[in-house]
Amino acid sequence: MRKLKAGAACALLLTSAGCMQYLVQPPQPSLAGTPQTVQANAYLGGTVQQPAFVSAARCRNGEQLGRVLVRRNFWQGFISWVSLGMITPATVEYTCANAGDPPVGGGDS
Amino acid sequence: MAAPQPSFNPKTLWQNFHESYKQAIVGEWDISMPQQAAPLTVADLKETTVQFQKLIAEARQKGLKARAVGSSWSLSKAPTTTGWTFNTNRLRGRFKVPAADVDPAYPGSADQKAGLYLFQCGNTVADVNKVLEGDGHKRALFTSGAANGQTIAGATSCGTHGSALGFGALHDHIVAIHLIASGNSHFWIERKSRPVMSAAWVQQLGATLKRDDDDLFNAAVVAFGSFGVINAVVLETAPRYLLETRPATAKLDEALWKVIGALDFSTHPLFKDAGKPYFFQAVINPPTDEVLIMANYRKDGPASYQPNYDLISEPKSIGPGFDALSIVGVILDKAKQAIPPFSQLAAKQLFDTKPKTGTPGEIYGFKPPLLHVASGSIAVALADARKTLEALIALYKKIGPVPLVLGCRYVRKTPALLGFNKFDIGLMISLDGVDSDNTRKFFSAAADRLDELGIDYTQHWGKVNAYTPARVQKAYGGNVAKWLNKRREVLPDAGDRAVFDNDYIAQRGLAG
Repeated sequence: MRKLKAGAACALLLTSAGCMQYLVQPPQPSLAGTPQTVQANAYLGGTVQQPAFVSAARCRNGEQLGRVLVRRNFWQGFISWVSLGMITPATVEYTCANAGDPPVGGGDS
Repeated sequence: MAAPQPSFNPKTLWQNFHESYKQAIVGEWDISMPQQAAPLTVADLKETTVQFQKLIAEARQKGLKARAVGSSWSLSKAPTTTGWTFNTNRLRGRFKVPAADVDPAYPGSADQKAGLYLFQCGNTVADVNKVLEGDGHKRALFTSGAANGQTIAGATSCGTHGSALGFGALHDHIVAIHLIASGNSHFWIERKSRPVMSAAWVQQLGATLKRDDDDLFNAAVVAFGSFGVINAVVLETAPRYLLETRPATAKLDEALWKVIGALDFSTHPLFKDAGKPYFFQAVINPPTDEVLIMANYRKDGPASYQPNYDLISEPKSIGPGFDALSIVGVILDKAKQAIPPFSQLAAKQLFDTKPKTGTPGEIYGFKPPLLHVASGSIAVALADARKTLEALIALYKKIGPVPLVLGCRYVRKTPALLGFNKFDIGLMISLDGVDSDNTRKFFSAAADRLDELGIDYTQHWGKVNAYTPARVQKAYGGNVAKWLNKRREVLPDAGDRAVFDNDYIAQRGLAG
């Protein structure tokens, strides 16, 4: 039983090794639309990037970014590890932000 | 300047905000406000109506399903479609209803008349709070769910509630609905017993006024997107108030059972001097007899009070990562003995133990987002509260530890035909936890157990639920047929209804 538990712990460590995620968001997120996913690769320790930069192309009409999440799953981490960081794939997920708060209309003034 | 037109995105995989499930779609449409920087006008509402009608007609012509989606917040599959999603969370127009546009027969008080606001569907609960509680208005919602990221149309369509002891659910603020049902129809729906907007205003909008009875409104207000696209709603609001939170922990003894099981605050040491709170919630962690309590007392605040809604993560703070629960769920499925300590730790981590005072929008404000949460809710009459909770605690102990806690909240009855809050005073038991096999099994077993015990109950439409057509029928009786008939009143054509059908309502006997 103890060996089984140790094996399970090792398996868990292996599957989570190399995985990561970082979330960036403003203090009051106001999201516009749904998250858009872009697969990105960095080569040679980030010297070269594909795409050259992640364009938040769905954010239009003055919208900025509402949330950015960078994720790396087990396989992406594995590739990075076996290539000694020469190839570092990640998944970038961005969501647009509403372009400000619309003014409140109406009233009796 | 021409209004921005809907923009198509050929995205084929949609998932809900909490990433607890995925859905294949044909694509999504982003809908924008005709003018972002100017106050919302009737002309803007008309322009958005035309845009939606074109899309709905095109979906029907192509044989596609469609559905409006707000913040994708639901844990149930209520908002799913296999066709086009219409992203509505850019539609954030809002205005205070001028007295001149209120119907002379509006039965509300002068204060209620002065507190009517129209919000477009894409305003989040956070947006609504910010507008109402701001300097120019000093109003507030009567109640609010724990989260604020849902859009007002999405949250209310699925029956989101809070735990204000003297009020109903979030949808009970709504007194008028602008519904776009098909490519050639849109309706302004109110209760016959509570006319709100003047006929002249509705005529200016170009909508068909529907207030011949109360049933159509009571059907459309909780319809999970099945009646068409809700473009806007009018809310009644309260004068602004503050909530003083008094978090505490207590043993689940007879004195606390009086509170949790009967809302009797007269004898428990925590309440006998303080009295009945405005908002009350108790969180039971079944393996222990320790209950986390949140009692919020309503108080007036100074007119100069400035709410601050910012959610700031301190640079050196440590907390669960955005996706922490996906790993935790897998671990807890394999290592059940870790569940009780985990539940205790998680409940304390997620439960704000520092007393504070703020507006409802601050207290139920922005929270660190977490993926892979699982939550289901069951509502029972207050008279069945203790029996139900004891049955669920016994079930928990019988099937083994499950990574969830039982949150107890209380809501008054709604007139909505399929409202989750159908009881005069209902105990809403949230089964909140980590998305895992064991949690999902517990949700299903809980409904089975209540059936065995013959307890009358409803389930939250926007959370994981075990509704079947028979259970929906048993919960709502004759209201189901009324709801279906009212759906046919605004969508008389089977082809138009089919656009807004989805598996979720079909599996609950509510499609077609």
